[in-house]
Amino acid sequence: MATASGPARTFVDRFPSEAGVIKANLLVSFVALGIGAFFGLVQALHRTDILRVIDSADYYTMLTGHGVLLAIVFTIFFLTGFFHWATARSLDRPAVSTLYSWAWFGLMTTGTVLATIAILGGLVPNLGISADVLFTFYAPLQAHPIFYIGLAMFIVGTWLAGADWFLSYRAWRSDNKGERIPLQMFMVLTTMIMWYLATLGVAVSVVFFLIPWSLGLIPSVNPLLTRTLFWYFGHPIVYFWLMPAYMMWYTILPKLSGGRLFSDPLARVVFLLFLLLSTPVGIHHQYLDPGIAEGFKFIAMTNTMFLLLPSLLTAFTAVASMEHGARQRGGEGYLRWLGALPWRDPAFTGMALAGILFAAGGFSGMINAGMNINYLIHNTLWVPGHFHLTVGTAVALTMMAGSYWLVPQLTGTKLYSRPIGLLQVIMWFVGMVFMSNAMHRAGLAGIPRRTAEPQYQNFEFLTPIGSIFELRVQIALGGTLLFLSVVLFLFNILLTSLGEESDRPVDEYLPEPLSGPEGSPRVLDNLGLWTGIAVVLVILAYTLPLAGIIQNGGGLFGGGLPIPATVSAGLDFVTTLVTTTVNTLLEVAA
Amino acid sequence: MKLTKARALVIIAFSVPIAIELRTVAGFFNIDLPLIAIAVIEFLFLALMFVLYGLYGEGSESAS
Repeated sequence: MATASGPARTFVDRFPSEAGVIKANLLVSFVALGIGAFFGLVQALHRTDILRVIDSADYYTMLTGHGVLLAIVFTIFFLTGFFHWATARSLDRPAVSTLYSWAWFGLMTTGTVLATIAILGGLVPNLGISADVLFTFYAPLQAHPIFYIGLAMFIVGTWLAGADWFLSYRAWRSDNKGERIPLQMFMVLTTMIMWYLATLGVAVSVVFFLIPWSLGLIPSVNPLLTRTLFWYFGHPIVYFWLMPAYMMWYTILPKLSGGRLFSDPLARVVFLLFLLLSTPVGIHHQYLDPGIAEGFKFIAMTNTMFLLLPSLLTAFTAVASMEHGARQRGGEGYLRWLGALPWRDPAFTGMALAGILFAAGGFSGMINAGMNINYLIHNTLWVPGHFHLTVGTAVALTMMAGSYWLVPQLTGTKLYSRPIGLLQVIMWFVGMVFMSNAMHRAGLAGIPRRTAEPQYQNFEFLTPIGSIFELRVQIALGGTLLFLSVVLFLFNILLTSLGEESDRPVDEYLPEPLSGPEGSPRVLDNLGLWTGIAVVLVILAYTLPLAGIIQNGGGLFGGGLPIPATVSAGLDFVTTLVTTTVNTLLEVAA
Repeated sequence: MKLTKARALVIIAFSVPIAIELRTVAGFFNIDLPLIAIAVIEFLFLALMFVLYGLYGEGSESAS
């Protein structure tokens, strides 16, 4: 491992095979980013009526491509590459089998290609293949089977990737008995446990319902059940996107600031809280769904509010670490230390700006999570405004900024241009401020999301301040700036990877935290215990709602009209199920 | 403190959300600011930043 005085060798010299796998992951991620961003520009200009180059009927194809390629492919391929880097770096050992690493990468890529073909097929009417189901892909919208099969392969690929990192950890553990899990490895493991738990929902939905339904093997599905199974996975995937960004804020941002992480134990607590709390909250996406009892929605809201705690802890730790770094660089005063931060460095500036917009996204997220106030903005443009601040900035901008520090380690070259990088991250910040601000305000005016033609006949949307026309221009301007920012990013990264080799392309040494793990209880590293608690919380949160949905919504495969569920109906169903099972077991035993 | 290009860029970036929300804040006090007023304010701010950068930016005599 590199030290402060450090060997000049960089990551690619020490782990050439792993660097190859990581570069391949990042390549797929960045190609998806480019295509998805282009689709985003087309949509922004189309629905604001500034420039219409597609037919409105194709809007949903573009929207699905935008969502799947950016929210699923770009983010998760970046995550798998980044986690592979973090595992090798923090354990200071290569993966157990390079061939195995290429296998999961190949499976994920094949799945991505299949799903993308299904989506883009929608632009070719005679092809007979389409998947205009948006990135949430639940019934009653139906895609071509290869879309679902591709997604299933992609998910299984991520499971195998997680197994790769667990195998590395097991090998490290056998050589390092009694040692604390290195922080980055701890973050990888807790994130992947959360992912295994969360993806069970979407795996059941895709394999048992959506694939057989799209192949015509079963006539119908229970739409509410597939929606609920999607959101069982759909909220924790938010944290699956966020965890690599958090890992960068905790372990890389303090170093870029010129300081050290404020507290290692606090970081561990935060990741454990996400493991425990991310999954049992998905019903807060379904406040307006009939068929789920209001009591279950209230419980989901309460759980969701607990999730604010780890985010607030992260905000505190990240700012404390940055302040420590600024003071190490000579910064003084209550606020003047901000001027001592390394604003020239695009990696630092991008992550810092991403964190600031994430705070704004957190506040709008509280409106989404509030059960009654959510009714004001449900399915309006407010919602995309919110997640363009969270996944679209906190995650995407942090990943792009982190790439300016990470990619040179993988290529052995220096970053092509820091000024272009700086301009790029600032352009993203400004573009997102324009776009998301207008989306939030349009949402408050009641303008719907997910439509190419956001107008109603004989109805005029009114805004308290400004006009709808101004909001449309603001969205189009923001979308254009964001697309140009992506072009600059891809250009900078491409020329970086084609550059000449350097002895020390980037200072990759990560300093020890101010407060190390030795001061924290060892129980934090007991992953089995935390996994068990997470499973119990999921069972408590979902058993009764799922039982109610199955009982009242026409069974597992639908066929009947859903009626409003009640808590007692869910209890009755579970009681009957348990009683029948016990009686059957007793009969068999007798 | 020296006004570097990077600091100037970041300050300009932060001015954008402030300018956008200025009308909302003014609305709390029943002041109806038209869009053109915001554009003029932002333009004046940018002009001020250019002047400050010329006086105190990298390479200026004051900075050295």
